[in-house]
Amino acid sequence: MSMTPRERVLAAMRKEKLDRPPVAVFTQSATIGQMEALGVFWPEAHSNPKAMAKLGAGQADILGFEAVRAPFCLTAEAERLSCKVDPGKQDRTPMLKSHPFKFDPMMSEYDEPNLMSPEEFLSEGRPAAALEGIKLLKEQKGKEYAVVAGNTGPFTLAGHLVSTENLVFGIMMAPEEVTKWVKAVNPICKAYTQALADAGADVIQMSEPSASTDLLSPDMFDEFAGKYVKDSLAPVKDAFSVLHICGNTTPIINNMIGTKVSGLSIEEKVDPKEAVKIVKKRVALVGNVGCVNPLLMGTAEDCFKHAKVCREAGFDVVAPGCGLSALTKNENLIALVKAIKG
Amino acid sequence: MSAELDALINIVVNGKIKEATDATQKCLDAGIEAKTIIFEGLSKAMAIVGEKYAAKQYFLPQVLLSANTLYKGLDLALPLLKGKGGSKGSVVIGVVEGDVHDIGKNIVKAMLTGLGLTVIDMGKDVPIKDLIGKAKDTKSQILAESTLMTPTLEGMKETVKVLKEEGLNAKIKLMIGGGATSQEFATQIGADGWSYDAVEATKVAQKFLGI
Repeated sequence: MSMTPRERVLAAMRKEKLDRPPVAVFTQSATIGQMEALGVFWPEAHSNPKAMAKLGAGQADILGFEAVRAPFCLTAEAERLSCKVDPGKQDRTPMLKSHPFKFDPMMSEYDEPNLMSPEEFLSEGRPAAALEGIKLLKEQKGKEYAVVAGNTGPFTLAGHLVSTENLVFGIMMAPEEVTKWVKAVNPICKAYTQALADAGADVIQMSEPSASTDLLSPDMFDEFAGKYVKDSLAPVKDAFSVLHICGNTTPIINNMIGTKVSGLSIEEKVDPKEAVKIVKKRVALVGNVGCVNPLLMGTAEDCFKHAKVCREAGFDVVAPGCGLSALTKNENLIALVKAIKG
Repeated sequence: MSAELDALINIVVNGKIKEATDATQKCLDAGIEAKTIIFEGLSKAMAIVGEKYAAKQYFLPQVLLSANTLYKGLDLALPLLKGKGGSKGSVVIGVVEGDVHDIGKNIVKAMLTGLGLTVIDMGKDVPIKDLIGKAKDTKSQILAESTLMTPTLEGMKETVKVLKEEGLNAKIKLMIGGGATSQEFATQIGADGWSYDAVEATKVAQKFLGI
């Protein structure tokens, strides 16, 4: 059976039976190895669409993965909504330096979420650059490779604007204020999701790390994150929707499926076999080769073995479980590819 | 155990933040020493909160609420303890340079403070040399570093190297934690201890200090 990588990834997203699963990075994919081979670097590639498209194709062009993916961080939306951002370095993702809105549960002082309209949000700044980057990726690579676009989930984005600790604390002190903020950012998340699909993305992978089980209980997940993801990610037209959450998501896999997304991306803290057993083919499962061990710290042989474990467990797409560290070695990623493609 | 102290423990465990200051004052009025309030009251309360978190009865919001309730009590009790040699040890804590995720660090700080340790909080995005320098200057026995992200794991590796180079590794124990870390990683880089969460962090610190 001869398939292009794109056909294979899309078939996997439809949960079709394949001779082997595709191998692709659905989370942050850029590494120093790719940057050096391609001559494009962070931080430029976070805001220059051409550089973004070139680096986003690196996982396929340099390492042999079966998808392309952009952008490379979770700060674009927050920056557009007026958070200060340190652009990072060649080997370090950008980071937020401020949470511009007041949300103080101790003093009971809360700013009103007066945010720009979704149309204005999409028109400039790094979200606009990412849309342009995805358009270029689609033009340049879209025939052969599935284009994956990443964005930020509503609970995480609300946390970026008001400080995640304050938002989480607010669940106990003033849940109505938390709801107000997540509700306010969600139309922006929804518009961005659809705009990425319209720009040519085949898969929208929304990361919602602040809704992990380290922070929220399963009930809180439903009330403050899941309910909104269901509205801003799952209904996307002309693309598959994948929800990514870090940490041990075993207790909320069913809640994540409840958002009606077409796929879940989970990390290595979830036992691969257990995940496949819980999911029961209700959604496509993406993951979950460990990003720190083995990909960053282990040997190529460790990576090869770990990839086989994910394949044998029955993952639909074999992928790193979370965003790659830029320092991950080429040989480890190539071993992951080889374990699946042969 | 007195009724006043029991009441305070109950208030911290249940996060009745508005009642914490009064309850602490009542303990003091009843003649309970600040040392007892901290070591037998607040410390015990945070241990219970930790157990509830480990058992998934509590999640982060409840822990934050209890931690903030604890601080209300500490605001009254800690100044009374100063200069009486009440501290059981000193810890410098911070999120390593390149990372700003500090919720976990703040919880560990609350738990270690509740344990009766002096905790020097360096905040987030802190250069390794500043963390080590502070631990050295304050003669702290423990340096606690946290990161959620993978790029910043390098900083922890660097810490082990610098501590060894400066001959400080016998005096300062390095404990690490945060989403990107694991026991496997801690062993790989040669850190003295690792903990999955704030409850385990208190156990690691207790082991280091022999308390």
